[in-house]
Amino acid sequence: MSDAPRALSVTEAMTLAKRTLESVPLRVVGEVSEFTDKAGYKAIYFTIGDGSSVMPCLIWRDAYLASGLELRCGMLVEVRGALTVYPPKGRMQFQVRSIQAAGEGALRMKVAQLARQLEAEGLMRAERKRPLTEFPDRIALVTSPRGKAIHDVIRTLRRRYPVAELLIAGVAVEGGNAVASIVEGLRAAGEAGADVVILARGGGSYEDLMPFNEEPVARAVAACPVPVVTGIGHEPDISIADMVADLRASTPTAAAEAVAPSCDEVTGRLEALQRLLGRGLLHAARDAERRVAVLRSHAVFRDPKALTAIAAQRLDAAAAGLPRALPERLRRDRERLAAAESRMAAAADRSLERATDAAARFAARLSDLSPLGILSRGYAVCYAEDGRRVVRSAAELAAGDRLKVRLHEGAAACLVESVDTKGTPHV
Amino acid sequence: MSDMPAPEELRFSDSLTELESIVSALESGQLDLEDSLERYERGVALLRACQSKLAEAEQRVTMLMGELEQDEDTPADE
Repeated sequence: MSDAPRALSVTEAMTLAKRTLESVPLRVVGEVSEFTDKAGYKAIYFTIGDGSSVMPCLIWRDAYLASGLELRCGMLVEVRGALTVYPPKGRMQFQVRSIQAAGEGALRMKVAQLARQLEAEGLMRAERKRPLTEFPDRIALVTSPRGKAIHDVIRTLRRRYPVAELLIAGVAVEGGNAVASIVEGLRAAGEAGADVVILARGGGSYEDLMPFNEEPVARAVAACPVPVVTGIGHEPDISIADMVADLRASTPTAAAEAVAPSCDEVTGRLEALQRLLGRGLLHAARDAERRVAVLRSHAVFRDPKALTAIAAQRLDAAAAGLPRALPERLRRDRERLAAAESRMAAAADRSLERATDAAARFAARLSDLSPLGILSRGYAVCYAEDGRRVVRSAAELAAGDRLKVRLHEGAAACLVESVDTKGTPHV
Repeated sequence: MSDMPAPEELRFSDSLTELESIVSALESGQLDLEDSLERYERGVALLRACQSKLAEAEQRVTMLMGELEQDEDTPADE
């Protein structure tokens, strides 16, 4: 046992690893995927990758400045230095002594070429972009079932528009089967009868984003039977899925906001419809009232006997001429005439009664809808100083303006102290 | 109007669409009085249904694929 190596402390093990790694100088080519240059830091941290592996790197600020290079994501670079270990974190990283550009990033070139091909096919044309349903009943979400993105979307939609049912296709967004999984998710969303599909992914490195740059995903987005909104959190890069989608939002939350109105907006819309409904009925009522007035002035209704007056006179004349000729027939005719007269009068009464009833029902409805009724619920109307023009937007106002505010009971003269033009108008 | 589905049974968007068409029919001035009243009443019923749906709506989430991993801010029973 005594000749076996003794157990090392962690520090000793890490120091050994550090020394071993640092003894091998390396030249490595890779694409920059993450890049942090914070003022005040002595080093610049970045990651290079090749699609299957990534390597965290650090370069001291003076060495970086000496290279004359302006690092950005997607850049293909060649770094010289050695791998090392940062013992306090047990983290391996590449300490860069010198860095130089190694041409356009291969991934980006491939992506750019696919983008050009799909654009030439017309998949990105503005006229292909379908408008979104204003009030979706079913919203499908295609995203990873893990992570922040899915919960951002669920929360945003629950807060803004819980009326809509949310259908979720939980898919792999990273790894070897991500492309097939996303394509399957889009297909399932389309088949489930959604009104709109959100394709979302939280932020990540350029490599993480690659499935959204693959042709099968782009084609599945284009083939989706309902509009697709992307919320792929990777500013400033735009994926090919973004370009083909009907609408691109910058984050999963923004995508959720884009597909549905907020409840406040809908409430405002319903209030507007309620007003229009009342106004529509008022039109119909006024129209009916006018028609009743015309009828009322008609001779038939003023004097129902007028219709039968001529016939009655002729009958009288005949009766005078033929006092004995047809006494029985004459009596019957007189009776029929009298009956017709009274039916006529009754019919006239009934029509007037019906119209009056309807008008009374309108009156009852209209009182529910009158603006004063709305005021009684606690709303107020804000007028400009002239008392006539209604103020609808804070943008019409300036501090120092005088206003008249009409309340349910009475009114008040007000002075504007300050103006805040923020806030979304309803409807 | 009796063959119309009850407002509570309509999808929210269908209620809104019908409500909008009722408003434009009323505004057109082409309806007789009885018809106007009937549509108005239907409109009020639709409006009430929409408002109560909006007030009482609870988000329904259905998984088409995969399993939702809960996070602490999104309890399963909500």
